[in-house]
Amino acid sequence: MTFGRRLRSRFWRGSVQDEVDDELAFHVEMRTRELEGRGLSRANAREAAIRRFGDIERVNATCRSIGQRRDRDMRRTEYLTELTQDLTFAARQLLHAPGFTIVALVTLALGIGATAAIFSAVQAVVLRPLPVPEPSRILAVYTAWPQGPGSVSAGNFVDGIEPVSSFSATTAIRYSSFNIGDAAEAERVIGARVTAGFFDVFGVAAARGRVFTAQEDRPGGPTVVVLSHRLWTRRFGGNPATVGSQVRLGGQLHEVIGVMPPDFDFTAQTEELWVPMAFTAERKAMHDEHQFQIYARLAPGATRAQATAEMHRNAESIRTRFPRDAAQLDFAAATVMDELVGDYRRRLFTLLGAVGLVLLIACGNIANLLLARAAARSGELAIRAALGAGRGRIIRQLLTESLLLAGLAAVAGLALAAWGLSALTAAAPPGVPRLEQAAIDPAVLAFTAFVAVISAVVFGLAPALRAARTDVQSVLKEGGRSGGGAVRDRLRTAVIVGELALALVLLVGAGLLIRSGMALEKVSPGFDPSHVLAARLSLPAADYKDPERVLQTFEQVAAAAAALPGVRAAALTSQVPMGAGGNGNGLIPEGVAYEPQNSIQSRLRIVTPGYFDTMGIAIVRGRPVTAQDRRGALKVMVISQSLAQALFAASDPIGRRVACCEPGPDGKAPDYKTVVGVAADTRWRGPAEPPSPEFYLPAAQIPSVAWDWIQRTLYVTVRTNGDPSTVIAPLRTTMAPIVPGVPLFDIRTMEQRIGASLQTARFNTLLLTILGGLGVVLAVVGIYGVIAYFVTRRTRELGVRMALGASRHDVVALIVRQALWPVGLGIGAGLLASLGTARLLSNQLFGVTPADPITFSVVAGTLACVALLASLVPALRAAAADPTSALRSQ
Amino acid sequence: MLHGTLDALILKTLTWGVRHGYGIARWLEEATEEAVPIEEGSLYPALYRLERRGLIEAEWGLSELGRKAKFYRITPKGRRQLAADTQEWVRFSAAVSRVLTPATL
Repeated sequence: MTFGRRLRSRFWRGSVQDEVDDELAFHVEMRTRELEGRGLSRANAREAAIRRFGDIERVNATCRSIGQRRDRDMRRTEYLTELTQDLTFAARQLLHAPGFTIVALVTLALGIGATAAIFSAVQAVVLRPLPVPEPSRILAVYTAWPQGPGSVSAGNFVDGIEPVSSFSATTAIRYSSFNIGDAAEAERVIGARVTAGFFDVFGVAAARGRVFTAQEDRPGGPTVVVLSHRLWTRRFGGNPATVGSQVRLGGQLHEVIGVMPPDFDFTAQTEELWVPMAFTAERKAMHDEHQFQIYARLAPGATRAQATAEMHRNAESIRTRFPRDAAQLDFAAATVMDELVGDYRRRLFTLLGAVGLVLLIACGNIANLLLARAAARSGELAIRAALGAGRGRIIRQLLTESLLLAGLAAVAGLALAAWGLSALTAAAPPGVPRLEQAAIDPAVLAFTAFVAVISAVVFGLAPALRAARTDVQSVLKEGGRSGGGAVRDRLRTAVIVGELALALVLLVGAGLLIRSGMALEKVSPGFDPSHVLAARLSLPAADYKDPERVLQTFEQVAAAAAALPGVRAAALTSQVPMGAGGNGNGLIPEGVAYEPQNSIQSRLRIVTPGYFDTMGIAIVRGRPVTAQDRRGALKVMVISQSLAQALFAASDPIGRRVACCEPGPDGKAPDYKTVVGVAADTRWRGPAEPPSPEFYLPAAQIPSVAWDWIQRTLYVTVRTNGDPSTVIAPLRTTMAPIVPGVPLFDIRTMEQRIGASLQTARFNTLLLTILGGLGVVLAVVGIYGVIAYFVTRRTRELGVRMALGASRHDVVALIVRQALWPVGLGIGAGLLASLGTARLLSNQLFGVTPADPITFSVVAGTLACVALLASLVPALRAAAADPTSALRSQ
Repeated sequence: MLHGTLDALILKTLTWGVRHGYGIARWLEEATEEAVPIEEGSLYPALYRLERRGLIEAEWGLSELGRKAKFYRITPKGRRQLAADTQEWVRFSAAVSRVLTPATL
């Protein structure tokens, strides 16, 4: 841009409209005069001039629009030029104060990086849509039990869900684990039996080969399998010839007909293969065996409300048709995303909020640093103002500095975020859906840029406004002495109040979670987890059709495990405590009407003799299951304390009879089992869950069909003298000849299992504690900085006081007193805010209320002490100063 | 009039000095002896376009009538453009002449 143009753009005050009007009028006037000179009358000359010009209106409009664009270009160029100048100047300013720049950059980069890392987790788990068409139209359908949602029976699926016209596709899924491969290199993988509608519900076709059809999904149909991309690459090396080959699955050859695309890997179970469900007619008639997960896709135009209404109607008709098996039946539905993400939405957003608070505290510190710097720079700014820079121009200049700072910090922060994200995904508890797919993607970049701009405004605006307000005259009159400004600085104090309040909010959250964790550790699990190892063993249906053979095999396994050196006791169970899943049955005590509404839902545990000793579950009354409890002998059960309470209240349960699990000898009357013992309650999902009623049946007495319920899968549990993990290898070796080709899986000690159930809570607590600690450190640094700044400002005054006889003690008291009220105010505000924010954590708390007075007072007390200590340091230094040198200082 | 020729003529006009719009129009009429009909209407949009492209710049000054008028001046960028346009015109007109006027053998 040349000087002339620039000058004109500055001094040209008229509008483009005036410019064009004037110019064209001038032309016409000149032409008129020329024609007049050739002898025409004024009127004729003017008329001729206008005629000659042509369509003056159109020319005017064209010129105007070009002129407006020209001015816009010019303004943009001017803006960019100024921006370049501001940026250059800002960079020079930052380089001039390397101490400030480094501290500010590190603080901000940590804050922005942490925020970006947590946001990428939120983005990956919660915000990112599922990689299927219209995921919001896929519903997860449950049986609505009074105590919550549960799985659905085949009968209820076929009669109640499949016919719903508002669904375009439905599927029933049963997750189970499969032995894949031949005996020598058999591997255990999670797979799913699904009805053929599965692939329509998710709307995803095979990446290679094909998926199975409804014709193939029938009893006696072809044995085919569709593989996940993960399994295909891991086990088959991504070999295209896999499709069409045969693979041994659960002892039976299956043809691989297809491989799914790589991103079809998001369900909670992350199953690795799919085989046809092939419901038999008998299975379709079963209404009370709730074993299936149901998903459905809404038909085009149909709404969730319509589908739910249809399901309610179908449930009602099933209830009337099967009063015994489906007495309380109703269905409920949630979107597949809600089902997948569940609790994590809230947990992750809590974390994002917490990390946002840390970033705010960091911004507070930088704002204080900038305020201190602005005081030092007031001379420079006053000169700029005196040279004609307007207020707006100075604010823009200072904000540009803040933006440059935030921008640099964002770049460094992204590098930190990439590192933090890999640490986060590595340390996170397993089972957070899709977390492993978290990455610094465009959404994260955009978010980071947004956060950087917001931060720059948060920490830069107030200092910039204040600096621009500086009175030019007074500053220049002070003759370059570094800064005037009030000694008591309300703005800086307000920043401290805010920082302390935010830090307190974080600490209260962390404190509540820590107290919950302590309460959880104290909960007795109801068994003795030390020195116990548990591993699962699943006998393939193809090789173990005969229930007698299943029982014998498992008994051999138990005996062989018990005979291992270093093993004190060994037994088998269908479900160890702290394990998810397991079957449940409705129990009805003798003497109560044999009606479904009188049944008490209890968790079934099938056990072999010695289980209670092995697991360390106390028998509080009667006896445990023994080797004498065999077929033909009296049918017995052991019940848990809470079940005894529910069934018999205070009366003695021993010898009482309870109906459950199978029809009696005539096929109709109840089948009664006699209670021979009462066992202590165990926590079956984790210490945070209250114990639910449990009952134990001897494996030797269960009905044959029960082996199907538990899919011929039992846990081998062993109690050892020493470290339980040392028996893993001998256990494997011993099992091999008894169950050739059947691997042990899910091998973990009971202590590991308890740990896993607490892992999510512990991880959250850890993260929130780190963030809380970070917040406190930042806030304390902030307080220290402000008090130290006040002290430097008042050095002379303090010198005068000391010269006039004030003791060192008086000086310290004076300074600490100054810190007292912002600390008090900040903590007060923080306590009030915490009352609100702590409620967001309520579903993660155990054994403490969100307004726990102990947590609140300990946290507030600690923060107050730390904050006052931070102000004590500069106070002591001031008091130690020599009064004469203090007087001489400026 | 051929496309782009007007721009080149305006630039050429301004190489002899600063002129306002009417002055440019008059000079073009005289220099071309009115053989090249200039629509006065199209002159001004061309001036605004040239200004926007930075080939000429404008400033306000006093005209011979003592009135405020907008004067145009060619910029260095405009001179470079003119040189290029002129070369292009020479090539173009030579080619057209070769076709239209039969070679005198």
